[in-house]
Amino acid sequence: MSLASRLPSGDGDRALVAGVVLVAVGALFALTPLQTTLPGAFYVFIEVGTLFAIYGMLVIGLDLQYGHTGLVNFGHVVFFAAGAYTVAMLAAESPFAGIGLGLPWPAALLAAVIVAGVLGAAVGTTSIRLRDDFLAIATLATAEIFHSLFVAFQTIFGGNVGIGSIPQPVGDLVTDTDTAMTANILLLGGVMLVTLAAVTRLTSAPYGRVLRAIRADDLVTRSVGKSVFTYKMQAFVYGAALAGFAGGLFALYNGAIAPGYFTIQVTVTVWIGMLLGGAANHRAVLGGLAVIMGLRLLSRFALDVAPVSSSAFASIRLIVVGLILVAVIRYRPAGIWGDAKELGVDT
Amino acid sequence: MGLTQNIVFGLVTGSYIAIAAIGFTLIYGIVNMINFAYGEYITIGAFIGILAAGALPVPLPVAVLVAMIGGGVVSLALAKGFFTPINDTGPIPMLLTSIGLGLALRNVIRLLAGRNARYFETSTTTFRFEGLPALSVGPVDLLGNVFVTSEHLIVIGCAVVVFVVLHALLTRTDVGIAMRAMGDDESLARVRGINTQRIRDSVWVLAGVLAGLAGVLIAIQTNASASTGYAHILQILAAAILGGAGSPYGAIAGSYVIGIVLALSTAFLPSGMTELSSAVAFVILVGVLLVKPSGIAGQEVREA
Amino acid sequence: MTLLDVQGLSKSFGGLQAIEDLSVSVDEGELVGVMGPNGAGKSTFFNLISGVIQPDGGRVSFDGEDVTGDTPESLARDGLVRTFQHTRELETMTVRDNVRLAAPDQPGERTLPALLRTGSMQDREETVRERADELIEAFEIDHLADEYSSNLSGGQRKLLELARALMLDPDLLLLDEPFAGVNPTLTKEIAERIQDLNDEGMTVVVIEHELETLTALVDRLVVLEQGRLLVEGDPDDVLADERVIEAYLGGDVE
Repeated sequence: MSLASRLPSGDGDRALVAGVVLVAVGALFALTPLQTTLPGAFYVFIEVGTLFAIYGMLVIGLDLQYGHTGLVNFGHVVFFAAGAYTVAMLAAESPFAGIGLGLPWPAALLAAVIVAGVLGAAVGTTSIRLRDDFLAIATLATAEIFHSLFVAFQTIFGGNVGIGSIPQPVGDLVTDTDTAMTANILLLGGVMLVTLAAVTRLTSAPYGRVLRAIRADDLVTRSVGKSVFTYKMQAFVYGAALAGFAGGLFALYNGAIAPGYFTIQVTVTVWIGMLLGGAANHRAVLGGLAVIMGLRLLSRFALDVAPVSSSAFASIRLIVVGLILVAVIRYRPAGIWGDAKELGVDT
Repeated sequence: MGLTQNIVFGLVTGSYIAIAAIGFTLIYGIVNMINFAYGEYITIGAFIGILAAGALPVPLPVAVLVAMIGGGVVSLALAKGFFTPINDTGPIPMLLTSIGLGLALRNVIRLLAGRNARYFETSTTTFRFEGLPALSVGPVDLLGNVFVTSEHLIVIGCAVVVFVVLHALLTRTDVGIAMRAMGDDESLARVRGINTQRIRDSVWVLAGVLAGLAGVLIAIQTNASASTGYAHILQILAAAILGGAGSPYGAIAGSYVIGIVLALSTAFLPSGMTELSSAVAFVILVGVLLVKPSGIAGQEVREA
Repeated sequence: MTLLDVQGLSKSFGGLQAIEDLSVSVDEGELVGVMGPNGAGKSTFFNLISGVIQPDGGRVSFDGEDVTGDTPESLARDGLVRTFQHTRELETMTVRDNVRLAAPDQPGERTLPALLRTGSMQDREETVRERADELIEAFEIDHLADEYSSNLSGGQRKLLELARALMLDPDLLLLDEPFAGVNPTLTKEIAERIQDLNDEGMTVVVIEHELETLTALVDRLVVLEQGRLLVEGDPDDVLADERVIEAYLGGDVE
C-alpha cells in the first residue's frame, strides 16, 4: 500500500480538504488586516449559516449514534449544553451571573470535549442496555434533569440569565463586524467539514461495518465475535464529545449562553433534520438539517412581507416542522436521500 | 407550611396526573407506543371545557362532560389519522410521529388560542383547619394550619370515581377484559378471537376521555394555555414508568408518588431552586429505568 | 480428544425447568446430531453453551477451558461458532458485508486505524475481501453477493450463515436447524457441505427436526426430552429405541 491509497479520495476526504481550506481562509480573515464588506441582505444568511455549521456537528454525531449504530438518543442537547457550559464556566471573565474562571479558551474548549465525553460515558454505561424506547426516555429525562439544574443553580450556572462575558476569539481579534462574521462562518464551517470527514472515515472503514451490523442485530454481531457493548459505548461517547465540541464553539462564538439555547427543541430539530435527510448518510443528514433550518430563513423573510406577528410565524413554522416529521416517517422513512434498503424500511 | 398541607397538594397533583397516566399507560401497554402528543390531548380537553363553560355557557359539570367526550373523539380521530396506519412500524417510528404531531398540535393551539392563559370562572370554597397543633419535628411542622379548597376536593373526588369506574371496566366489561388480555399477550388475545383493532380504538377513546378530564381539572385548578398539557407530559411519563409501563394500577400508584414527591421537594427545597422539583421527577424516572424497568407493578418489559 | 464437555447443565425459566442435569460431550472431529420433540430444550441447550443465556448450574468446557457463562463474542473468538434457527440475517447489509463482517482481527474495526487509514488496516481489509469472496463462491451465492440479504430465499440465507460462520475459522460449529424451511434439493446440498467440512476435520453439532437428513448425516445422535438426555448413540440404534419412539408420539416427526 502506497501513499497513493492514503491520498484524498471519496467523500470523506473531499470534505477534509474543503474543511481545511475554509479554516485557512477564515484564519486569514481573523489574523490579518484583510477585510470584507457584506451586503446587509447577507447578514441573515450568514447568521443562520453559522448556526447551521454548529448544529451540523450535532447532527453528524447523532447520525453516528442512531443512523449507524441504532442508538435512540433523545437527549443529544445535553451534551451540547455540557460543552457550552464547560467553556463558559472556565473561560468567562467575571460574568454577571454564574461562575467564570477566566482561563484561556483553548484549554476550556478541550475541557468541553472531555466533559461531554465523560457525561456520554456515564449515560452510556447506564442506559445503553435499555430497550429502544426506554433508552429514548432515559436520554430525554437526563437532558431535562440537566436543564433544570442549569436553571436552578443560579450562582453556579447563572440560572435563567445564563453566563455571559465569554471570550470570543474571533471577535477579539477582528474589530470590523463584517469581517468577523465572515471569519466566523468560514472557521466554523470548515471545522464542521473536518468533523464530517473524520466521522465519514470511521464509518466507511470496517468500523462502520460493525456499527451497521449492530444496528441490524445485536446478537448476530456478538455471535461473530464483536464486543457490541464496547462499540455502542464508543459511538455514544464520540457523538457526545462531538456535541460538546460544538457546544464549546457555540459559547465562544456567541459570547454568552443561557438555558434557553439548550431545550428539547434543539434535539427535535436535529432529529427531524437527520430523518428528513436520510439517516446513516452523513451528507444526507446535513442536507436534511439545511432544509429544516432553511425554513427558519424562509419564515424570517416571510415575516417582512406578511402582516402576521413573529410569534405567529414561529408557530406556523413549528407546525410545518412537526408535520414534516410525521410525513417523513409515514411516507418516506428513509428520508429524501437515504437508502431504504440500508435502513430496512422498504416494504 | 406543614407537612400535611404539602401532602394535600401532593394528593391533588397526584390525582390529576393519575387520571392522565392511566390513559397514557394503557396506550403504551395495548397500542405499544409512547404517545408524546398526549399532553396536547390534555390541553385540548382543557380548552373544550373552558369554551363550553364560558362561551355557551353551561354549568361546570356539563362542561367537564363535554371536555371528556371531546377528548375521546379527538383522540380517536387523531389515532385513525396518524397512528393506526403505522401500527406495524414499531415503537420508535410511532414515538417520533407522536413527537411531530404534538409539536404541530401545540402550535395550532397556540395560534388559535393566543398567548394568554384562560381561566375558569368558579367560586371556590376554602375549608380551613386552623388552630391545629404544629407538631414540629425539627424544622418541619407536621400539621400546622391546613386548608383544602373545593377545587382540591373536586379533583381528588373525580380521581377516585375514575379509579372505581376503571376497575369495574377492566374487570366486569368485555371490552375491559379484552384490553387486559391484549395488554398481557397480544398474539394470544388475537388467537382467542379478540378484534385487536377494535380494542385499540377503544383504548384511544378511553385515553382521550381521561386526558380530557385531566385537562379540565388542571384548568380548574390553575388555568389553560397552549402548553398546559405539555408541561405535565414528562411527569405523566415518569408516573407511568414508575408504576410499571402498561399497568393502570401501577400508574395510579406511581402518580401519587410523583405528586407527593413533587410537593415535598417544592416545599423543602430552598427558594429559587424550585426548578429542581421537576428534576426530581426525572431523577426518579431514570432511577426506575436503570434499577427496575418493570416498575412498581413489575410489568414484564416486553420485546418490541 | 474432547472438544466440548457439558456437565450437569441446568436452566429454569420462571417455574419451568427447561434443562435439567444435562451432560454431553463432543470429541474433536465428530459430527453429532441433537434431536427431540418440541419443547425438549434443544435451542435452550445451544443458547446455554453459546453464551446467549446463563445457566443456573453446571459446567461447560471448551477445548479444556471452563467457558461456563462466557459471552457469545468471546466464545466466537475462541472458536465456538453458532448459527441461528430463525435465520437472523443482517438484513440491512449485503451478502458481501455480512461475510466480511465476521472476519476476526481487523485493525480497521478500531477507531485509530480506521481514522488514520493505516497500512495494516488496508492490508487486512484486502485479505478479508479475498477470503469473503472465496467463501461466497464456494457456497455458490456469488451471483447474490451484492444483494441485501433480505432479498435471499430461506435456503440461500442458510448458505450465507454458513459462509459467515466459516470466516471465523471455527473449531466447533453449532448449527441450529440448518435445514428448516429449505427445499429438498438445497437441503441435500447443505448436508453435503456439512459432511465435507466434517471430513476436513471440523467438529460439528447439528440440531434438527428434519430427521431423515439428520440421521443420514451424523455419526452420533443425542436425544433430548423435556430438558433431559434421553438416549444417545448410533443414529439407527437411537431411532429404533422404544423410548425415542414414545417420546415422539404426540410430538411431531417428519
